[in-house]
Amino acid sequence: MLFPLESTLKADAKTVAGSGEYDVVIVGSGISGAIIAKQAAEAGKRVLMLEAGTGANITLAGYDDLLTTFYSAVSKDNQSPFPVNANAAMPRSPKLRKLQAGETDSSTYIVQSGPYVSDTTYTRIFGGTTMHWEAKTPRMLRSDFKTRSIFGQGLDWPLSFEEIEDDYRLAEREIGVSANVEDQQYLGQTFPGDYVFPMRGLPLSYLDQQVNKGIEGTSVELCGKTYPLKVRPYPQGRNSIPNPAYDGGKGYRPIGAVDTHQVEEGGRCQGNTNCVPLCPVQARYHSGKTLAKAFAKNAKAGERLVELLAQAVASKVDIDPDNGKVRSLEVKVYKDPASAAHETITVKGKVFVFAAGAIETARLMLASGLRSTSGLVGRNLMDHAYLLNWALMPQICGTMRGTSSTGGIVDLRDGPFRERQAAFAIDIHNDGWGWATGAPTSDLLELVDDRNLHGADLRRGMVDRVSRQLLLAFMLEVMPDESNRITVDPQYTDALGNMRPILSFTVPEYTMKGAAYGRRFARTVFARLGAQDHTHYDPSDFGYVAYEGQGYAIRGGNHLAGTHIMGTTRTNSVVDKNQRSWDHENLYLVGGGSMPTIGTANVTLTLAAMCFRSSRDILKYLH
Amino acid sequence: MSSYSIRTLDELKEFLHRAMQLEHATIPPYLTALYSIKPGVNQDATQVLRVIVVEEMLHLTIAANILNAIGGTPDLARPDFAASYPASLPDGETDFEVGIQAFSREALATFLKIERPAQRPKQLAGKGLIQRKTSANTTALGSHPRYEDLHFYSIGEFYSAIAEGIEYLEAEAHRQGTTIFTGDGSRQITPEFYYSGGGTLFPVTDRKSALEAIALIIEQGEGDGGGIYDNDEHELAHYYRFEELVKGRYYQKGDQPGHPTGPQVQVDWEGAYPIKANLKVAEIPEGSELREAAAAFNARYGEFLQLLTRAYNGQPSLLLEAVPTMFEFRNTILELIRNPLPNHPGMNGSPTYEIPGSTKQAAPTRQSEVIA
Repeated sequence: MLFPLESTLKADAKTVAGSGEYDVVIVGSGISGAIIAKQAAEAGKRVLMLEAGTGANITLAGYDDLLTTFYSAVSKDNQSPFPVNANAAMPRSPKLRKLQAGETDSSTYIVQSGPYVSDTTYTRIFGGTTMHWEAKTPRMLRSDFKTRSIFGQGLDWPLSFEEIEDDYRLAEREIGVSANVEDQQYLGQTFPGDYVFPMRGLPLSYLDQQVNKGIEGTSVELCGKTYPLKVRPYPQGRNSIPNPAYDGGKGYRPIGAVDTHQVEEGGRCQGNTNCVPLCPVQARYHSGKTLAKAFAKNAKAGERLVELLAQAVASKVDIDPDNGKVRSLEVKVYKDPASAAHETITVKGKVFVFAAGAIETARLMLASGLRSTSGLVGRNLMDHAYLLNWALMPQICGTMRGTSSTGGIVDLRDGPFRERQAAFAIDIHNDGWGWATGAPTSDLLELVDDRNLHGADLRRGMVDRVSRQLLLAFMLEVMPDESNRITVDPQYTDALGNMRPILSFTVPEYTMKGAAYGRRFARTVFARLGAQDHTHYDPSDFGYVAYEGQGYAIRGGNHLAGTHIMGTTRTNSVVDKNQRSWDHENLYLVGGGSMPTIGTANVTLTLAAMCFRSSRDILKYLH
Repeated sequence: MSSYSIRTLDELKEFLHRAMQLEHATIPPYLTALYSIKPGVNQDATQVLRVIVVEEMLHLTIAANILNAIGGTPDLARPDFAASYPASLPDGETDFEVGIQAFSREALATFLKIERPAQRPKQLAGKGLIQRKTSANTTALGSHPRYEDLHFYSIGEFYSAIAEGIEYLEAEAHRQGTTIFTGDGSRQITPEFYYSGGGTLFPVTDRKSALEAIALIIEQGEGDGGGIYDNDEHELAHYYRFEELVKGRYYQKGDQPGHPTGPQVQVDWEGAYPIKANLKVAEIPEGSELREAAAAFNARYGEFLQLLTRAYNGQPSLLLEAVPTMFEFRNTILELIRNPLPNHPGMNGSPTYEIPGSTKQAAPTRQSEVIA
């Protein structure tokens, strides 16, 4: 599948406003919106997709421009490829600072109301956060769907694993997940007899293998249970070798890439190590691949079924007071990212889908005065808390080679200890200490400035330093808490006059207990590896959290969830198990925001699966 | 039946060896032009060249699959396999030289000739092969094993001869209750080893799949039956992709050959490093780092051809090992291309692709004439 040329011709505001009713109006072009757009188009429905960003990266040249920006950026953070656009601003972590008690910092796009300052990010461009994601695609565990019943923590989902299992398979097909079933059968995860992933698993990196050598056969004890240690491969949303046994022997062909002129189909993973923020060869999945298929769908008369209106920021939802249905959507369409000049149009549709990410979807609802019957819009905000631990391995381990993260220690994703403390999954970072210290740039500066190295000595010094770096990133479970939330306030607005999100967050004690254990766990692993621990947390760090006399720098995981959770009634949740709003029958709030808990799985695969479910419900509603 | 037709299985095998040689011979020129492009410019050209190089690797593999299907033994390490540049290729009544050079208008003119759809004018219909004008010492790509001094009118005709040979020999075999497709199926390179913008890799097991394989090679290069796309109207043929760069405009659906009407393509013809065309290691001063790097590259390239030979001889998974080697080549080629050539002011180095153990030597050209 190639992006058809005509797909680059974007819809214009006048045509959109004057074109009567669309079957489905979707806000956001990330993976949630893309899946729903494609499913609707395949059923012959007319779809309008609104994207706040410029949409320039819909072409390969635009995509390559992002890469060029990234290559030339001094700071290689998650958002470094993406140009500043005040009309569709996004959080940029390097600008954060620690808050004093009671202080609010409105100097960044997300107003940080504290006490914890989160560096969580999402990307407001065509493709959404799949333009910067790391593309690890583990499924949630069976127990993750009922943590309230089993552990007395968090909330139960209105869905069971069994109810979502088929949609997990659809999501794995859509993303083109690379994994081997035998590697994923741990902690009771099962797969039907003949199931294989679309593509074969990516191999563990040399660093993974070195870590595994040091820990395999050892174990840890926690709450009276023994957990064997081992490095296991992660399932990945990036192209490897298609599995000929997929789909009953039909095989799998990776299809689609941002491309207007048949020059690139999305390569195989080459291990470039800059997966985050942007894969140079489109081996990593992004939602442009799904949209390529959606844009190619034509109605019987030949006209396109999916239109994309870029530079269009949804600003207000208009509700029919008689029946609670969404009547229309007010959209601000700007002409130029450098100017706030815009026109305001009204968009009509039979069904509205808000797929703008957990924070922006909640922001749009709250800015429209829609808190829902339950009052839970914006509440229960979740994001995985990351605790970084870094050390130098005793031997050269080839750090900086391979995909960002290929393996990890994941056997503590579940266990009876979850009654007391957060579960975690550990990523082994093939890109060294970068996330924690800014390596390898920081190493280079130190070797040049402080140690005056140059030439061959400098090269050797860099190899010696960087290729022994081991970073263990603990992804800690965070349970829903109504006081962790997104709100809006008319005193904080963006360039277009839209209210900005205000984030209030406290890292739950349950999570901090897991973090404290995680720190001890890391020391144990480092000791078994003979690695020299270099971890330190600076009390002036914006994410510094004190717990039981120790301090920890907690990082955001960009796995945003929970601002419009799904549940069993309109009083305990915002949406039903199909992600349809309890209060507005033609409105679907989709994505991570619907998740009542996030366990220790990166959220994308699960939310993608949920969107296949919602697509069926939307089509049923339209018929 | 023409005297040039393929009549024996051994001859068909030799033709397929030459098909592999021909497909491989396009890779060094395309790869060198690709890597000669300066960073930050010619993004479209980079992508066009990249995808075409990848498809030439597909063609090489497909040719190996056909050869394996009829019980042949692909050998990329045979002394006559690797071309010496410039090598000659048929282009209608004349043949022309394909060399190693930087991305430029001249390079594109050559590339267009490589991929040009060529149909004989009426007066030459049925007139057989054409006398080569280049020296017998020059690698003559797409030539006839029994008539080394002649060449086919076009690459398309060369492949048509193979297709006809397959049909003829398989029909003969059928009459005797047998088949020419006796190769070991486990030697076939299967689809999981390739996916890209166009074409698919599939095992060749019989007459039908063999002919489909040949059609794919021809259509990806030249287009289908005079059209600019391949037969499912999906993929633009190589010739027309190169033409997009020359004409500075993309083709779109419905366009006629020679008249692209899509968006403009920006090409910076100065945006490439000035490498010395068809450089030989002997021209680089002894003892220089550049000479060392060029020789080391050639040695590695020779090992690479041996690795591919093993992969095509029953060990397909070795193709995965070839991938890091291609990255190594990229890095080495960039080093060669971005460093000055000693004693040649304003000129940079280049990979020379002089494979150790290769027999072909470049030599002067001579006149051509049409042989009836």
